[in-house]
Amino acid sequence: MYTDKRPLSPHLQIYKPQWTWVPSILTRITGGAITVGSLLVVYWLVALACGPEAYATAQAFFGNVLVKIVLFGFTWALMFHTLGGIRHLVWDFGIGVDIRSAERTAKLTVVASVVLTVLVWIAAYAV
Amino acid sequence: MAEIRLPANSRVTEGQTYPAPAGAKNVKRFRIYRWDPDSGKNPRMDTYEVDLDSCGPMVLDALLKIKNEIDSTLTFRRSCREGICGSCAMNIDGSNTLACIKAISDIKGDVNIYPLPHMPVIKDLVPDLTQFYAQYASIRPWLRTETPPPPRERLQSKEDRAKLDGLYECILCACCSTSCPSYWWNGDRYLGPAILLQAYRWIVDSRDEDTGTRLDELEDPFKLYRCHTIMNCAKTCPKGLNPAKAIAEIKKLLVQRRM
Amino acid sequence: MSLRTPLGRAKGLGSAKEGVGHWLAERASAAALLPLLIWFVIGLIANAGADYEAARAWIGHPVNAVLLVLLLVTMFQHAQLGMQVIYEDYIHNDGLKLVSIYLTKFVAYLLAAAGSFAVLKIAFGG
Repeated sequence: MYTDKRPLSPHLQIYKPQWTWVPSILTRITGGAITVGSLLVVYWLVALACGPEAYATAQAFFGNVLVKIVLFGFTWALMFHTLGGIRHLVWDFGIGVDIRSAERTAKLTVVASVVLTVLVWIAAYAV
Repeated sequence: MAEIRLPANSRVTEGQTYPAPAGAKNVKRFRIYRWDPDSGKNPRMDTYEVDLDSCGPMVLDALLKIKNEIDSTLTFRRSCREGICGSCAMNIDGSNTLACIKAISDIKGDVNIYPLPHMPVIKDLVPDLTQFYAQYASIRPWLRTETPPPPRERLQSKEDRAKLDGLYECILCACCSTSCPSYWWNGDRYLGPAILLQAYRWIVDSRDEDTGTRLDELEDPFKLYRCHTIMNCAKTCPKGLNPAKAIAEIKKLLVQRRM
Repeated sequence: MSLRTPLGRAKGLGSAKEGVGHWLAERASAAALLPLLIWFVIGLIANAGADYEAARAWIGHPVNAVLLVLLLVTMFQHAQLGMQVIYEDYIHNDGLKLVSIYLTKFVAYLLAAAGSFAVLKIAFGG
């Protein structure tokens, strides 16, 4: 039938990046990332419960510089997703659901997530 | 899986270029999506060089100039040329708007024109809006009452009438729904911002007596809850309306009625 | 090629007449996670490089143990709800979608249970 041959118009390929959908997909991606990161939390707790040798192995794993880089990334993902989540909670009350407020808080989220990540890691090393 | 890539028959190739006439000084390039249903080929991008000194200020003026003077096969919908009919909705410079009220001077560099995103294309810039219109009909967008009509009007206070502002003005151009990634991936089951805004228009109309049924029909993981407050809709509405806010209010009502 | 009318297709199987529950649960778990995460991140900062005894002492303290179990349960509930929405958005094959949703639910239960058991084992001095 003639309708079967119709092409689909381009979407992601041509839609301009905006302060609406880009932070939104990032909130989703960081959510998926920290879901994977939750496995590391469980691993650490289980290792601690299993005795000193298991815990030593876990601490060595988390001390590895490559793992630390990944943990830094997970920290940023947690901060970004949490700040994005707060935006969503506020929107769910009907507050700030307009373009000006949403774009402003989107930019704030990007900056604050980086600042918080750095602060957390400085604090972790200082203590 | 939701197709991130375009299907094979939809991938866009480079088409031809139509240079500006000699002596033209104020030239702007318009790259426009073309597809001919009779050609059997994939869609292509044709480039038209337009002399802005002999062209009106809006993108629609350029499209009409191209159609009249350069290539009469260029096909697009248009009617009122003043932003009220919704016919010329398309993707210009990466976002959805009405060609008749989009100023050419707002766009830096080449003007890229595509049909509304993730829609079946009938020809060139003309999308198939059948599903969109069917979704509108599915919310039964008319007053539903049991109380018999009074001798004159059904009365409504000024405050209640004010609640319809920002809702009744929608021209159903489909810019918002086709800007929504959730509508791209689930447009067959998700109603989309335009239709949900109209659903809210009837929910919040004080003269309507079927609010409960309207809310029942929306309370569905797909019809309503594919909205993740992405807010492309409010950003792109050429009439300055805010579907995201209307949808947020529907969600609040659904919680309120079970408290 | 279905000859169903566009309106028939748009109405589909009708509204499921449910959805608020999932929406509220995602928000409630998010709200609960805010204070729990603040407490947890502070705790991690204080105890990240801690030796075996110090870490066990922190986790084993009754208040920390209770909050940790609550964190694990709430975190995995929120993650499961969020992943379900992602599957519903992107997976259109009904069988694959269903399996993904329930497999994630089972793994979430498993991890929450394993983590909680570890916390309680430490707290009860095992």
